[in-house]
Amino acid sequence: MPYFNDDQEVYRYLGRLFLDLLADEELARQFRTANTVVQYRYRKPESQITVKLLEGEDGQVDLGATQLEPEVVMTMDADVAHRFWLGKVNVTVALARGQIKTKGPVAKILKLVPLVKPVFPRYRAQLEAAGRSDLAEV
Amino acid sequence: MDSADDRQMAGFKDFYQYTAPTRVIAGRELLGSVGFEFAKEGARRVLLVTDAVIRATGLVDRVTEGLSDGELELAAIFDGVPQDSDGAVVAAIAALAAETGADSFLALGGGSVMDSAKVANVLFTHGGEPRDWEGYYGLPRALEGAGRAEELAPLACIPTTAGTGSEVSFAAVIKDREARVKYQIADFALIPRLAILDPAATATLPPQIAAATGMDAMTHAIEGYVSREWNPHADACALHALRLIDANLERAVHQSDDETARGNMLIAASLAIAPTTSGALGLAHSLSHACGACYDVPHGIGNAINLPASIEYNAAGGEDIAARYRDIGELLGLQAGGEIGQALAEHIRERVRSLGLPTRLSQVGVPESGIALLVQGAMGDACTLVNPRAPTAEDLAELYRRAL
Repeated sequence: MPYFNDDQEVYRYLGRLFLDLLADEELARQFRTANTVVQYRYRKPESQITVKLLEGEDGQVDLGATQLEPEVVMTMDADVAHRFWLGKVNVTVALARGQIKTKGPVAKILKLVPLVKPVFPRYRAQLEAAGRSDLAEV
Repeated sequence: MDSADDRQMAGFKDFYQYTAPTRVIAGRELLGSVGFEFAKEGARRVLLVTDAVIRATGLVDRVTEGLSDGELELAAIFDGVPQDSDGAVVAAIAALAAETGADSFLALGGGSVMDSAKVANVLFTHGGEPRDWEGYYGLPRALEGAGRAEELAPLACIPTTAGTGSEVSFAAVIKDREARVKYQIADFALIPRLAILDPAATATLPPQIAAATGMDAMTHAIEGYVSREWNPHADACALHALRLIDANLERAVHQSDDETARGNMLIAASLAIAPTTSGALGLAHSLSHACGACYDVPHGIGNAINLPASIEYNAAGGEDIAARYRDIGELLGLQAGGEIGQALAEHIRERVRSLGLPTRLSQVGVPESGIALLVQGAMGDACTLVNPRAPTAEDLAELYRRAL
């Protein structure tokens, strides 16, 4: 059974995390070095989050429908994304295994992977603060 | 220094993947039976993909004669693949295949030729532009993207260099000249159905290219064995590849009439690529990919230059990493004592020198002013994520400075 019941739960937790990360000035500055627009397309439940990370522009997170044109698309189960942000997914294994499928210049996003490790406790804390400790247990 | 707590360099792994579906045939005088062998893979009317240099050696004539052995038809020959192929070349190959009614591809050449044929096969089957298919596991597949990738046309490869291993791999690299980047298309469907390893195909290989491509194979084997994504199946391939490279590389380069050495190097290259199935490579590749994209440094030469310093850097990252290098040192007969990183790096530098290859990036057109750009490229390279030690941007800059 998926961790999230519907797309609104995906946006409430994963979407909120992206919004928080881009509100962090230092993290947002580092993320913008990716200089791309990335779209995360989730299955189970169907949902999508699009993130604009362009140098010299403000960041933007669209939950669901978007006018942004993604350059990189990463497709995965929402469970994989959830487990990733809890520090439980090895990205290279997930890529090799096809749990994460990519389209476009994925290197632009892969270079951010080392930067997000410190964020993992933040996601766990966010879930606990929202009264969803159950989701933090994976 | 990064911690070792999130890597596992020994024991039983939570997960790994190994796949080797290509039928490999190796031996002497196989070019005359190319058709007989390729017919078994479903080919009937073949587009032969090669480059002008290979065509001038007469090798293409031998291969096309060999097609008749299986009563295969030759649809056309495309001999315009450059050193680093690009989207326009790939699209032209796919168009020629369609125009001439080909139903299969035969790649006769090095990495660029084989990768061009792979991507042309994608366009021939699924249409679109090459960059539409950039990424991992993005080809059309059953079960709304979760099932088996749809089959491409039969592809056979006859490598004319012993290095890239593309003849058995699931990936292809193409250059976007305008954007100055190399991009990768990777999916199981790209894996060639047949690889023919015949030393006759490398008989006219210039020594410097034999040396550079051989160092590419050595780098695949060493980095694959010491990657975070090492695995037992790939280890077996990597270590035997190193044995073959150790015994045959110099002979294959300096004695071009040594058919045994050339044949064994072809086998070594096809074994050495095995770890990449699970993404196992490392820092030397990250550093070299950026050099190739920004300054056109040939991949094998970039690896030859960057491998030693990468080993020194990694070996200092923990005893668990050093132990893996120690296995390699033992296989190569090194008396390393406690300093395996330095000893193995020196051994490789000496081999690179003896092969007549450049040993400094400044010798191959990389300026000090380019380091910041190179670091950006290397940091975003997937090989960096699977390196046993996690480098910072400053670490990468220092490695480039030391290699200049």
